[in-house]
Amino acid sequence: MGIAVIGGGIAGITAALDLADAGYKVYLIEKNAELGGKVAELAECETGISPQVVKIENHPNIELMLSSEVEGLSGSAGDFKLKVSGKEIGVESVVLTPGYDVYDEIAKGYGYGSPDVVTSLDFEGMLRTATAGDTRELVRPSDGKPVKKIGFIKCVGSRCKENEICSTACCYYTAKEAWEVKERYPNTDVYIFYMDIRTFGKDEELVADLKGKYGVKYIRSRVPEVIPEEDGTLTVKYEDLEKGTVERLDLDMVVLAVGLLPSKTIKKLAEITGVKTDAYGYIETNLTSPMETSVRGILAGGAATAPMKVRESVTQANGAALKAAMFSERTEMIPGQEERKYIDVGEEPKIGVFISGREGEIAGSMDLSAVAEHVNQLRGVAVVNSETNTLKGTMEAVESGIVDQGLNRIVIAGYTPRAYEDMFRDTCAKAGLNPYLLEMVNLREQCAWVHGAEEATGAAMSQMTMAVERARYLEPIPIESYPVTPKALVVGGGVAGMIAALDVADAGYDVYLAEKEPELGGKLREVTELQSGEKASGVLKDLVDKVNSNEKITVYTNAAVEDVRGRAGAFRAKVITGEGVDEEIDFGAAVLATGAIEAVPEGYFGYGQDKKVVTQSEFAKMLEGTVDANTIVMVQDGTPGDGVHPKYKSIEVVSNALRAKKLKPDLNVFVLYQDVKTYGKWEVLYKEARENGVTFLRYDEERPPELKDGIVSVYDVIFNDEIQMKPDLVVLSTRMLPAEENEKLSKMFMIPLKNGFFLEAQERPKLVFTPVDTANEGVFICGSAVYPAMIDESIAMGSAAAARACVLLAKNFLETPGIVSVVDEDLCAGCGVCVELCPVEAIELVDVPVAAVTYSVMTVTGGTKKVARVGEGCMGCGSCASYCPSDAMSLNNFKDKQLFAQLDFA
Amino acid sequence: MPIKTWELDSNFKNEILNEAGGEHLTACYQCSTCTLGCPITEIVPSYNPRKIIQMSLLGMRNEVLSNPDLWICAICQTCTARCPQDVVVGDVLAAIRRIAEKEEEAGNLKIESPRPLFEKAFLHTVEKYGRLYDIGLALEYYPKREGGTVSGIKAMMNDYKDFGMRMAFRGKMGPLGGHGLLKGVLPSKIKKTDVMKKIFEKVEGK
Amino acid sequence: MSVDKLAYYPGCPSEATALDQDISTKAVFKALGVELVEVEDWNCCGAAEAEDPKLVYALNARNLAIAEKDGLDIVTPCSICYYNLARTNNALKADEKLRAEMAEIDPSLSYNGTVTPKHILDVLMNDIGVDELKSKIVKKVEVKVAPYYGCYIGRPLGTAFDDPDDPVLMDQLIELIGGENVPFDYMKTKCCGGPLMMTRADIAFEMARKVLETAKNAGADCVALACPLCGMMLDAKQPDVEKALGIKIGMPVVYITQLLGLALGIDPKSLALGKNTVDTKVILGKVV
Repeated sequence: MGIAVIGGGIAGITAALDLADAGYKVYLIEKNAELGGKVAELAECETGISPQVVKIENHPNIELMLSSEVEGLSGSAGDFKLKVSGKEIGVESVVLTPGYDVYDEIAKGYGYGSPDVVTSLDFEGMLRTATAGDTRELVRPSDGKPVKKIGFIKCVGSRCKENEICSTACCYYTAKEAWEVKERYPNTDVYIFYMDIRTFGKDEELVADLKGKYGVKYIRSRVPEVIPEEDGTLTVKYEDLEKGTVERLDLDMVVLAVGLLPSKTIKKLAEITGVKTDAYGYIETNLTSPMETSVRGILAGGAATAPMKVRESVTQANGAALKAAMFSERTEMIPGQEERKYIDVGEEPKIGVFISGREGEIAGSMDLSAVAEHVNQLRGVAVVNSETNTLKGTMEAVESGIVDQGLNRIVIAGYTPRAYEDMFRDTCAKAGLNPYLLEMVNLREQCAWVHGAEEATGAAMSQMTMAVERARYLEPIPIESYPVTPKALVVGGGVAGMIAALDVADAGYDVYLAEKEPELGGKLREVTELQSGEKASGVLKDLVDKVNSNEKITVYTNAAVEDVRGRAGAFRAKVITGEGVDEEIDFGAAVLATGAIEAVPEGYFGYGQDKKVVTQSEFAKMLEGTVDANTIVMVQDGTPGDGVHPKYKSIEVVSNALRAKKLKPDLNVFVLYQDVKTYGKWEVLYKEARENGVTFLRYDEERPPELKDGIVSVYDVIFNDEIQMKPDLVVLSTRMLPAEENEKLSKMFMIPLKNGFFLEAQERPKLVFTPVDTANEGVFICGSAVYPAMIDESIAMGSAAAARACVLLAKNFLETPGIVSVVDEDLCAGCGVCVELCPVEAIELVDVPVAAVTYSVMTVTGGTKKVARVGEGCMGCGSCASYCPSDAMSLNNFKDKQLFAQLDFA
Repeated sequence: MPIKTWELDSNFKNEILNEAGGEHLTACYQCSTCTLGCPITEIVPSYNPRKIIQMSLLGMRNEVLSNPDLWICAICQTCTARCPQDVVVGDVLAAIRRIAEKEEEAGNLKIESPRPLFEKAFLHTVEKYGRLYDIGLALEYYPKREGGTVSGIKAMMNDYKDFGMRMAFRGKMGPLGGHGLLKGVLPSKIKKTDVMKKIFEKVEGK
Repeated sequence: MSVDKLAYYPGCPSEATALDQDISTKAVFKALGVELVEVEDWNCCGAAEAEDPKLVYALNARNLAIAEKDGLDIVTPCSICYYNLARTNNALKADEKLRAEMAEIDPSLSYNGTVTPKHILDVLMNDIGVDELKSKIVKKVEVKVAPYYGCYIGRPLGTAFDDPDDPVLMDQLIELIGGENVPFDYMKTKCCGGPLMMTRADIAFEMARKVLETAKNAGADCVALACPLCGMMLDAKQPDVEKALGIKIGMPVVYITQLLGLALGIDPKSLALGKNTVDTKVILGKVV
């Protein structure tokens, strides 16, 4: 049997790959003729997603069903019969990832239809073509004139009667598009019309940058129409709140940041599968089971459950995949787990050069046949192939070149190494060639994009020469395999950690769960009521009981993890507890779920001295009883200090305000805020708060509210006047601090921190396709340890981390990395410079015996000398090799002779 | 001077909520859609329906009810149609105007705008005849507006001298107007005026 | 054609200032073979002056109830009458308590919600339909028209029958009769100022000026409209607008029924084309 993944966008691709990589049979069903969904339409993502698409197309465990429609479902979890375009397949579970649609009933008043008024998705397409076409100026589609002023109008088709909820992703993608405009066309003025800026964490920094150094103007007005002028100018009106006037702004182009809607296919899928949908048409899930649908064995993930960004979609997809796997049996081989034998390459290089035109993307920017002709004349080149256009075609050509033509060095041109190198290495390995006999040339970003046609051809020729020269000196690097320890360590026993532990255990692996406190539960222990109205204590008890009764989970409390060694698949560490446990544990994967701590807003509004000033979490506890106040002022923003603003800040505010109003309807509640960030479905809670009489007052960073003599004063920027309140209680939102142990864990697990929180692997600059993976393979992060967010996100991340860990644990063995430093012990003088330099402490000095040597006139006695030895932790950074005073240290695949050969032709 | 919320009437929003048409006031999130589309704001820049709603939400009852801008809404419903939160802005403003009228009737407020007088005069003809009677309307409205019969008639003549002639020449008003002799001068009265009386008594009596 | 008989609600201006609209409406429907049965003893809808929704509901419940007795849908040439009839219908249909409240005022206000109120433009384009109209058109009216919809055709949402920002029905009708629509998009649905005429004439005149001058600058021979209050403001008051603002406009303003009537071959007099304030001769010269 197997698992069906329905929907081939980023969420479906992610789920399918996780499952297939863990040895499950996957049917990936997509209604369109191509994979990729909306992400493939984004300027930045097309290249990011295509390696994954290729991986799917070539995956032995995935049966790809394109242009296929789901027509029926019968049976139950563990034994479903799914009818897909007339064909019946048997699956144990189903993952629904049908994605979203873009709001398309744009009010006519916006003038959509005029070529200069486009949606964000259209604009992504424009940016993409501008990239490929080497355009130096942003031009107006209608007449090709330069765009001097561009306006982005947010919330078109969201937070409105037609689509009540907030589409969540738009604030970010608008900021990203504005950033791209300013980066590429600095002379274009950018205006963004918004109501609330709902970005979080890193994205918040992006907005600050836009407002600051990029000079993008954020204007608070929900712009209802775009007025076309006779000369083609597009006029928008906005309210200048400070001046109290309606102003007109003439723009050359307008981008409508359109909202997200549940995919139209959800309705049909719901009818077929029986899963419930919510009031907005999304697949219904719960705050505490964010990937589980109403039907057992059917999981859901991504923007089909709520509007969300790529990061959250991928997280849910990871988690949904693992949950689906629980119903299934592993039946397939895991790719890369077969034994590989490499051909003996001998001394004489026989280089195969493969240049891909990328369907015109590169072929259109240079004379490829001239490049090929040039390469053909280079020393050692046996074959030049410039005929392939697609990734698949290139891969097949490489494979047959190795197998049929006996090529022993491969040069690939036309693909970004960052995205494709691993894939081509694998192609070589599969064909029997040591994967390090590969050299790549970046004809795309380094030639086609940056030069004019003639220049590009010349640049390509010289880069090709360099690559071929280097390839001549490439050597096979011995690859060793080592067994994977099928156990995981989870650090942190809060919600995310407990979920991760439970999911890994349910997948069949042993788990060590180390919690620093005497009890499991983390921050949930402090929470009285979830925003869904559910009592937190019940949720907590259920989780703790499950963890404690799970035979596969060993729980350590009062525990600390020390002395981490090893690498992905074979870690070793010490667990030390307050009860005197001091154990060595072995594990293949680690999940860091250390959570976050509420920062005490000491001194802010007199907090600490003034009893009338409390935090939101203290207020939530007060709400368990009665509200002893007539006027409450909540200050949502501006809390000073370290740490970050949690993603749930506004949700906490509006839900507590509502709880208070419901307890005491005549209570005056004022919320002082900078942006109300009730993203997604939480927008309705914001509306409910307003409808229940909560008053929201907006202020600017420059004019923060004050408490003096019992009076809170705030300059309301929408009202454009100072407003005063006499509260009986002031409630402050708090920042969240990273767990203290993060610093230590960061060093031990070699994961960078940002503001004290763990940083995910940075695969691409602006999109997060692997939100729980880290720079260190085998170590995963989740929950508030990454970014303090709502419980549903923490749970999804916990499952996602478990999922990623299980993909690794499913493997029998892993291979040692090839690009590591090697020491020539004869040359090593044992000076120890490298030991000092190594950022991961992978080098140590050891004593080695030295034999007695007799020269013509004298004999040097034997004994020992100190030499450097590179251990398992080496990440191949090359610091040691570049500093070694005696040239004893070198980096595999980057040996001096290889680099100098390349440089000779630079 | 800062606005002291404790001196305001926090119940004002409930007052509006209880008025027919005012039910959705509190859904407002101050996005400016209403003001930005308003054709009146284009002509009278001070006119800002968003702000009227904001002041109402805050409880600035006196300031709102005595705001002369309340009376220059043309009821075009652009704001109502566009409001993303379905506040039914046009009806909310009408609800506020009715509260102001009640306050004036109770002697707590003096409305400068002649609009209530006009609307009343209009509706009086409807109450009396079942249909609008232009001349009757004008004869009630102008003297009231001008505070005297003579000055009222004068103002009416000023507004309607040319207009009346034009209408008369085209057979729309005057002795030869309408669908027959004298129909343009006399009110067009329906049979069931008693029902009209009942309607006005019962609806307005509440 | 899916309609042959309708209850006709003329509205108060039909007897005076909008006599031309009333006459042309009746003539057009007659030519199209649709019988209009005037709602017996109809009363005023409350216009823009009845600001209390309850009063509007009561006034219109009576008119709807009369049409309901005849089992006919109700049609009106006036946008405000339409808005009031339609919103009353919506409110009463949805709310049993409100229906009872109305019946309590007077039994003649007992309405069951079975009538569909319609605007003539809606009936012409959507019920009678383009095909039927085409078959009856005998002449081309080759005028350049600024199609002016005003307020209540495209909004508010619950009663509108055309797009709020870019309505098309009148545009289509004008094309159908051989006319040409001038670029007028942004002004199509802007308010004429009518409701402020008696209380803030200064604002009302400025609003009317914008509509008329935009039409003039767009090269229109005339403005076409479908509401007597718009007609009052843009046509009957045009000389007052000119005088007050010290400008010259001279833009003929006609009801859409008058233009359609010409295409149907009805003689101009039967369409009351002599009763418009601004001379409409320029149009007559373009009927071929």
